Amino acid sequence: MHIPDGYLSPQTCGALGVAMVPVWATAASRVRRVVTRRFVPGLAVAAAFSFLVMMFNIPVPGGTTAHAVGAVLIAVLLGPWAAVIAVSIALAIQALFFGDGGVLSFGANAFNMAFVMPFVGYGVYRVVAGSTPVDARRRALAAGLGGYVGLNVAALAAAVEFGVQPTWFHTADGTPLYAPFHLAQTVPAMAIAHLLVAGLAEFAVTAGVVAYLQRANPALLTINHHAVAPAAGMAGVEGPVWWVRWRWAVIGLGVMVLATPIGLLAPGGAFGEDAPGDLDLGRYGLRAVPEGLSRYNGFWSHTLLGDYGFGEGQNATVGYLVSAVVGIAVIGVVVAAAVGLVRLLRRRTEPSAVPDEAMVG
Amino acid sequence: MSTAGREAPAWLLRPEPGLCSCGCVGRRRRGSFLDKTLRGTTVALARVLFDDDEAERDLPLQRVDPAVKIVAAALLLLAAALVHHVVVLVALSLALLGLAAGCGVPAGRLARRVWFTVPAFTAVVVVPATFSFVTPGEVVLPLGTWFGHPVGLTRQGLTAALLLVARVGACLTVALSLTMTTRWDRLLGGARRLGVPRAIVMVASMAFRYLCTLLETVTDLFTARKARTVNPSDATEGRRFVAASAGTVFGASHHLATEVHEAMIARGYTGEPRTLARARVRRVDALWFLGALAAATLALGVDRVVLG
Repeated sequence: MHIPDGYLSPQTCGALGVAMVPVWATAASRVRRVVTRRFVPGLAVAAAFSFLVMMFNIPVPGGTTAHAVGAVLIAVLLGPWAAVIAVSIALAIQALFFGDGGVLSFGANAFNMAFVMPFVGYGVYRVVAGSTPVDARRRALAAGLGGYVGLNVAALAAAVEFGVQPTWFHTADGTPLYAPFHLAQTVPAMAIAHLLVAGLAEFAVTAGVVAYLQRANPALLTINHHAVAPAAGMAGVEGPVWWVRWRWAVIGLGVMVLATPIGLLAPGGAFGEDAPGDLDLGRYGLRAVPEGLSRYNGFWSHTLLGDYGFGEGQNATVGYLVSAVVGIAVIGVVVAAAVGLVRLLRRRTEPSAVPDEAMVG
Repeated sequence: MSTAGREAPAWLLRPEPGLCSCGCVGRRRRGSFLDKTLRGTTVALARVLFDDDEAERDLPLQRVDPAVKIVAAALLLLAAALVHHVVVLVALSLALLGLAAGCGVPAGRLARRVWFTVPAFTAVVVVPATFSFVTPGEVVLPLGTWFGHPVGLTRQGLTAALLLVARVGACLTVALSLTMTTRWDRLLGGARRLGVPRAIVMVASMAFRYLCTLLETVTDLFTARKARTVNPSDATEGRRFVAASAGTVFGASHHLATEVHEAMIARGYTGEPRTLARARVRRVDALWFLGALAAATLALGVDRVVLG
């Protein structure tokens, strides 16, 4: 996922570098405020640690190896803002001394691996871990899932950055000036590699390290978990209100909502999703639209936002954004209703926790 | 900085003995991924430390002010990124290699480190982009038809592939020329003078130093494990060991950070790092900057005006 120089246009590198400036500034300010002078050696070793984590090659099925980035692991252990600085510095060392990732594209690499990855992964971790104790097995699983999702979202960001290059930057005769693959190729290629290979490595390292620390050194896990019970059975400090606990998930979803119109840049349509009238019949050796396809197409026509847009197709970008918000809201309502129903059923079936004597007495 | 005592033991780095491939003498064992990781990390870091020592030599390129070198490198990188013709990128790479050789930098090593790494990988990855189904255009090498349409290698695809490989090579030549002639601490000093926050520079400086210390911890872990292992472990056990090692290294890192912080406080650190380096732009710095500016302008001029 380390993007070398030459793959992205200077404009893309510049835009992502500029986008990272406030992130770095905020990270430096927040980390300094939280841990004062102590942050210098702490972050230095975290950066060195991140560098080393990226050098641990893990065998994966298929005879190849993959390495973790460690961004979500550092976010879980030290907080996401510390991860921004530590991973950025590790990326700078790699770019300058090992030729792994570019110097011009440093901003893009930092955006993907030092910003998107730790924040998305940490959001997933917080949501899945909930308020479980530090030594809960669910917390290690949550960290692994955070690493897996964070890495894949970062890979998606890199795929989009690669994929827009030939569309935006080419010569008059169509020769791509930078990365030559389109979104239709970069997104599946990166998705397959990261969903099936690198993501598993990230899951294994992140979950494995947290599980190991739960057994061997649980004190380290409390650095970034002041409000969590240190171990099962022990009462923790009362947690923050729900919207504070879920803020990273909300921020992550917000970023993804804003990114939904990117799909409009892709040339052509999604494979297998053409309307019968748009099919290139000659390309598939057909003379007419198959009868079954004609009959069942449009079977359900009572859609609220057909094709993720408004009825007349106007304001496609706004339509995408509205569709994303509506979709998330509907899914949220359904999930909340399901969770509520399960809780209600469990409450009815579970025996009362209050002893009979107390009830009598 | 001496690397003695930091490298992995020689016996650990030695490859597995090559026995007869037919199996009559014995079976050649595939090297463990843990060994490979350790070997790769140690070799890479040793190379970087060697470069850092090389960068200390009293040669013309090494004498240039690091802040000026960073600005000059940025100018050349920008020019390489904006150029549209392969020939200009190749000329830029060759000019840099020639300049490096003329200034005493081992050009052969620089060329090997540039072209045997990322550009070679890029050349493999970019092959599909030369086909018409990825980069449509004028088919110059037909390979058949697909639903009646001719498919094959296109002029646009081949040009794009060559352009990408040449661009990656040129950019890497610029970046490695900078780091092979500038010590890490001087490079960070230059970055500081260019406006990078003091705290970030200090963290980066310490991180580079602690890489060696943490790598030593990892080496000790691997060596101790190897010394206590009779049979080669399987991949699952290896994965568990990697997770445990990473957890241990993090614990060691945290402990080290606490100790270093206490040592810094004891020496009177108040949050404001101080260095002995003084900024002083000399004639060689001005010449180097003007040379880079001229090279970047010339490259873009030839690319846009002469070659169109």
